[in-house]
Amino acid sequence: MLKYVLKRLIWMIPIVLGVAILVFIMMTFCPGKPEEIILGPSATETELAAKRLELGLDDPIVLRLGRYMSDVFIHFDLGKSWLTNVDITSSIKERLPRTLMLTITTLLISVGIGIPLGVIAAIKQNKWQDSLCMVLALIGVAIPNFWLALLLVLQFSVKLNWLPALGIGTGLAGIKYYILPAISGSTGGLASCARQTRSAMLDVIRADYITTARSKGVPERDVIMKHALKNSLIPIITVMGTMFGHFLGGAMIIETIFAIPGMGTYIIGAVNSRDYPIVQGGSIFLAITFSFCMLIVDLLYALVDPRIKAQYASGRKKRKVKANA
Amino acid sequence: MPKTTGHAKNQGGFTAVMRQMSKNKAAMLGLLILSTEIILAILAPYIIPYDYSFMDMANMFATPSFSHPFGCDDMGRDIFSRVLFGARYSISIGIIAVAIGSVIGCTIGAIAGFFGGQVDNLIMRFLDIIQAIPGMLLMIVISAVLGPGYFNTIVALSIGSISGMARMLRAQMLKERENEYIEAAQSINCSKFRIITSHLLPNCISPMIVSATMGVAQTITMAAGLSFIGLGVQPPIPEWGAMLSAARQFIRQAPHLVYFPGLAIAVTVLALNLLGDGLRDALDPKLKN
Repeated sequence: MLKYVLKRLIWMIPIVLGVAILVFIMMTFCPGKPEEIILGPSATETELAAKRLELGLDDPIVLRLGRYMSDVFIHFDLGKSWLTNVDITSSIKERLPRTLMLTITTLLISVGIGIPLGVIAAIKQNKWQDSLCMVLALIGVAIPNFWLALLLVLQFSVKLNWLPALGIGTGLAGIKYYILPAISGSTGGLASCARQTRSAMLDVIRADYITTARSKGVPERDVIMKHALKNSLIPIITVMGTMFGHFLGGAMIIETIFAIPGMGTYIIGAVNSRDYPIVQGGSIFLAITFSFCMLIVDLLYALVDPRIKAQYASGRKKRKVKANA
Repeated sequence: MPKTTGHAKNQGGFTAVMRQMSKNKAAMLGLLILSTEIILAILAPYIIPYDYSFMDMANMFATPSFSHPFGCDDMGRDIFSRVLFGARYSISIGIIAVAIGSVIGCTIGAIAGFFGGQVDNLIMRFLDIIQAIPGMLLMIVISAVLGPGYFNTIVALSIGSISGMARMLRAQMLKERENEYIEAAQSINCSKFRIITSHLLPNCISPMIVSATMGVAQTITMAAGLSFIGLGVQPPIPEWGAMLSAARQFIRQAPHLVYFPGLAIAVTVLALNLLGDGLRDALDPKLKN
């Protein structure tokens, strides 16, 4: 098991290197000259040239890439923002927790509502409860997050004035700033979680061991919770993994709407001001976060299913994980 | 195992699929909504009551009324006309981007899945890197590189949909490759190109069609999201996301500006999802439930 985790962690290194190289190369093809944006329209030719020299923009791309990679992966220094000269690593340290907080709250809402909805739909298959849950799921998939965000702000901030529409707070009171953003981000994931739970439950519920459990007098509640749901968790966890990626990306737009100073607003702002080091550093950090999450998903498989755990231990995990995906 | 060649199966398949799907009310509803929208979008220049960029300052922020069913925006432009005309942009972005992405993605996936070995390894590791970047972030970076605009948004979104498609077709190919009819084709000396195009692809296509349908829905939302943060289609083009982005600043004084473009996205995505579900059930009864 430990060996497997180590192997996965080592495998993350080339992935993160690849992401760094890919984003670096893409950013160099960006239209617009960073030095003009930094210095503003009033800058003279000489000032522009001096800035280019300072940022090393005149060097060949291979040299710049090499320098960036050695800064990041040998000295662990993401550099400074071109525009504000603030250290990027410390900015990310401050902002990443907010994005994570938003993403995890979103995930908790999706799972916390999605799984019960799916279970209800499955045990009441083809009854009105089933149809209701599935209609809700369809609507959840269809509603664009940013539109729902606007509607929620309209209702709960502008009209009812219950929850704040913008910004972040401190301490425990800060939680209420995440409620609307997390709800608006969660609908799509909630819906796919409900649908996946329903279909996984329906697969399991007809299995012989469920009949056995019922016939030996296990209470229906335990049959559903302990036997059926537990055995349908694998596909649900798979969906959760992909959902996390969606939420992490979706958080970027949600953050813009609610003016949360997280990774999304940071990167989008940097994209608009051609602040390349921020976009590169931010992407590297989000990629690492995402890869860690995928690792956690794979470890959850092992936690839920002893058969997979045995495979991890014997090193034959690859085939099984692929078969599940 | 299918005994007929892919071509014949496909033709027979289409009517069978349609017959199967016509029993599914939800799927037919989706198809109906979608085809209505597409027809309206095509006919939009002839049926919209006002020009989509016609500014009527007297009707600034007019609420929905008989002459302006969805009201007017901050420049007095008729929102109904704009939403209807915007369907051309939003829907076409979704369909074209997914079409391009699917063709490229399927080619890559087919190569990886059929040849296997080092080629497969190389392609898959590259896709691993791309998939380590959350989707929306990748879209934002690509749109930053390409710059905003209608065509660039299509290109960005099609690049974004390549890796998912490639992965999926590859998995299908690996499964299908083990079948005996492929061995038979190899033994009668079919070329590799022929085995891929006329034997493997037709048998792998059904899940691809389903995921392309769902992909169009996702792409429409993503395109609107990009336009919403100012990186996609730019105003004054009435793309739905761009309209929402412009409406956002007037949310306190004129909430009706926000309702209709978003509703249009939601209805389109809903229709595509209904259709996708129906197609999946019709194409592959095994996947039902």
